[in-house]
Amino acid sequence: MTRTFAERVTEIEAGPCRLYVLPVPVEQVVTLRGSLRTWPDFATGETLVQRLTVAMLDRGTRHRDRFELAQLLEDRGAHLSFTSKGSRIEFSGRLLRRHLADVLPLLAEQLREPRFDPEEFEKARLHVQAQLQQQLEQTSTRARIALSQRLYPPAHPNYRRDPEAELERLATLTLEEVQAYHAAHFGANELILVLVGNVQPEAAEPLVRAAFADWPAHQATPRFAAEAAPKPPERVLIHVPDRQNLDVLMGHAVALQRQHPDYLPLYVGTYILGGNFSARLMATVRDEQGLTYGIHAALEGISTEHDGHFEIEVTLSQDRLEQGLEATLEQVQRFVDEGVTEEELAEKKDTLTGLFQTGLSTTSGLATALLINIERGFGPGYLDRYPEEIHAVTRQQVNDAVQRYLNPETLHTVVAGSVVEMIH
Amino acid sequence: MAVSEVFSEVGRQVEGFTFLEAAGGIEAYRLDTNGLQVLLMPQNVVPVVAFMITYHVGSRNEPTGLTGATHMLEHLMFKGTERFNKARGTSVFQVLQRVGAQVNATTWLDRTNYYALLPREHLALAVEIEADRMRGALIRPEDVEAERTVILNEMDRGENDPLRNLYHAVWSVAFVAHPYRHPTIGWRSDVENMTADALRHFYDTYYWPNNATVSVIGDFDPETALALVREHFGPIPRAPQPIPPVWTREPEQRGERRVIVRQAGQLGLVMIAFKAPAGLEPDADALDVLATLLSQGRNSRLYRRLTDAGLTTLVVAANERHHDPGLFYVVARLAPGKSHGEVENVLLEELERVAREGVSEQEVARAQQQLTALEAYGRDGPFAIAAQLNEAIALGDWKLYATYLDRIGQVTPDDVRRVAQTYLQEATRTVGWYVPENG
Repeated sequence: MTRTFAERVTEIEAGPCRLYVLPVPVEQVVTLRGSLRTWPDFATGETLVQRLTVAMLDRGTRHRDRFELAQLLEDRGAHLSFTSKGSRIEFSGRLLRRHLADVLPLLAEQLREPRFDPEEFEKARLHVQAQLQQQLEQTSTRARIALSQRLYPPAHPNYRRDPEAELERLATLTLEEVQAYHAAHFGANELILVLVGNVQPEAAEPLVRAAFADWPAHQATPRFAAEAAPKPPERVLIHVPDRQNLDVLMGHAVALQRQHPDYLPLYVGTYILGGNFSARLMATVRDEQGLTYGIHAALEGISTEHDGHFEIEVTLSQDRLEQGLEATLEQVQRFVDEGVTEEELAEKKDTLTGLFQTGLSTTSGLATALLINIERGFGPGYLDRYPEEIHAVTRQQVNDAVQRYLNPETLHTVVAGSVVEMIH
Repeated sequence: MAVSEVFSEVGRQVEGFTFLEAAGGIEAYRLDTNGLQVLLMPQNVVPVVAFMITYHVGSRNEPTGLTGATHMLEHLMFKGTERFNKARGTSVFQVLQRVGAQVNATTWLDRTNYYALLPREHLALAVEIEADRMRGALIRPEDVEAERTVILNEMDRGENDPLRNLYHAVWSVAFVAHPYRHPTIGWRSDVENMTADALRHFYDTYYWPNNATVSVIGDFDPETALALVREHFGPIPRAPQPIPPVWTREPEQRGERRVIVRQAGQLGLVMIAFKAPAGLEPDADALDVLATLLSQGRNSRLYRRLTDAGLTTLVVAANERHHDPGLFYVVARLAPGKSHGEVENVLLEELERVAREGVSEQEVARAQQQLTALEAYGRDGPFAIAAQLNEAIALGDWKLYATYLDRIGQVTPDDVRRVAQTYLQEATRTVGWYVPENG
């Protein structure tokens, strides 16, 4: 009898850190994922300050400069990286098992004691500037930003600011602001660490405990809007010069959170519409009509704390724009009008549970799935429950959810690229 | 750390197969009836299995006028056979995605691969489908038409990216005769005019068991897997004619070449490429180490000289290993306000310094450690292993997968200096700039 994830994952309170260890019989490798809660103020655009703070984490600590820090990792072939993700900072890493005692203390040191060197701050600023400038020329990113602004208020975690506005703000940010942000928002709040691979709980626990033992929690509190505030639906053209391929997003807000019983039926329904190659949109708009290289439908940005949206992403060449939009809308309308068939539902339930199984075939896939579900408050046992929950979804539930939450008439359409009619 | 596995002469005796050799946890067999090569790598860590077939055909095999045929054919391979097709509700995607498989295919210079990562109990399905479409693809004119616009859109997508455009421009200038000069997706006019007949001919030339390698990786019983391969692939005959070799050899380059790509955008790019040896040559190992110590991590030479100094926001060195001699290159993204000229000068200065002064023991040791770890991480799960093994197969010897770390471990600082002197020469270099224009 195969043991369940609930049985295989060891959960330990290692000081202020919740440590989860899943030993997997792979050679040498340990994959690390984790996060902590920072609570930036979304309405005031504090996420940019957070992004810059995160960019300082691998630029030296109080105890070693950026080169010594990097050398410690590089000499061991280990990686650690940090990402700003909404109200959390996420970190991930890979290392060989024998380097656990070197890398875990370093992880804590980077999070807790960044060096904040003024020269390094300017370099970090330059990097973020370059990333934002690149966003200006990326059609998919521009479309995503524009759609988010149609659907959400600035205080919502899914709202994204224009690169131009971010660039302006970036130019005025100071090192002191970044230091103050670190002091006020970094701490052992909901600190989670997941280790998967050639690792045993008893080896990791004392290292994690020692690394984070006296790290206090910060006092920042949640400041975000949980609900979307969509503008009236319309078509928006974002002109990106010299980009012949058009990235198109169609979407509308969905007032639903991840833990709601309607979520999985709607998720399965959306997958039937546009989740994979054999889903309706790819089967028709690409495979039969040859209008696009890729078309997908998904629920985006829905969490256990805020709602999100329904989205169709399609890439279209200039001469196929109108035809592509029309064909897409026709499929969505048909989908909402007619609902899904028993056969489609059975097929996609098998697909989703099978994909879930293959997705867990790597240490990084396992670590990511564990972290996401621990953050959601579902716990490691959700990896056991998820396939059962998918299989329990009925056709009636899917069609009810589709009727309740999806409405083609409220779809916003954002087209980004060198749209011919925009050139004047 | 090196792979400790020794080459083994011991294999299973399985009816219909000849055991060839074993290395790095992989056993190699040949199907006697038709010469199909079969690689088995059993590991029961998780209950999934990767099944992959690699055809030894890529854009390297395409003549002018038929560029993009490899890639277009790969698309057509999903359009159905008599047995598995959409009209019957049994297309490859319908059948395999139904059981939760991750399914796709890729094409590149030297190879085409089709793979499925699926729950172990469904291995037979993947074997059956691949065997069926090895000779049973319909390649109907109407499917070619529908797929042509899909591919043209894929091409448009790619061309939105200046880095991709610069990369292809450099390859197409660096090579004048060898087919590595054209992108795998093909030239637009060839894709626009490709016919079903031409694709059928291409298929009939290259899609045969004696021009393919099957790999099974993950949780499976080796004897059962071999029996499945024999059952489904066994009846397929060998190619009726020899697989045509590529005889075009790139003429010696005797002077620097330069290319400029202009497109609207924000930050410029500089790419400097040098002619490099074929992927199986021992010098390629030293070039891998060189690429690593040049650009991997904050302590790498180019990072310190360029990115840390605020001249670039990204710098990457890479030694692309291919079947035939390819390119070793560095590519850098300019920091805001910096010029192409100053970045190019620093890049060249640093490359010349390696050739002139050599590199330290410590740098080589660090690069070896980084490559070792990268390799270990790259073997995380059956699919990742398949992806790595696929590239070794493409070079012409799957055992490179098994011996790679040993080979890297043998590289010395003298080797690195020697290959820098040998290959990083002005005469064999191609310099490309992406110059953003404000649209």
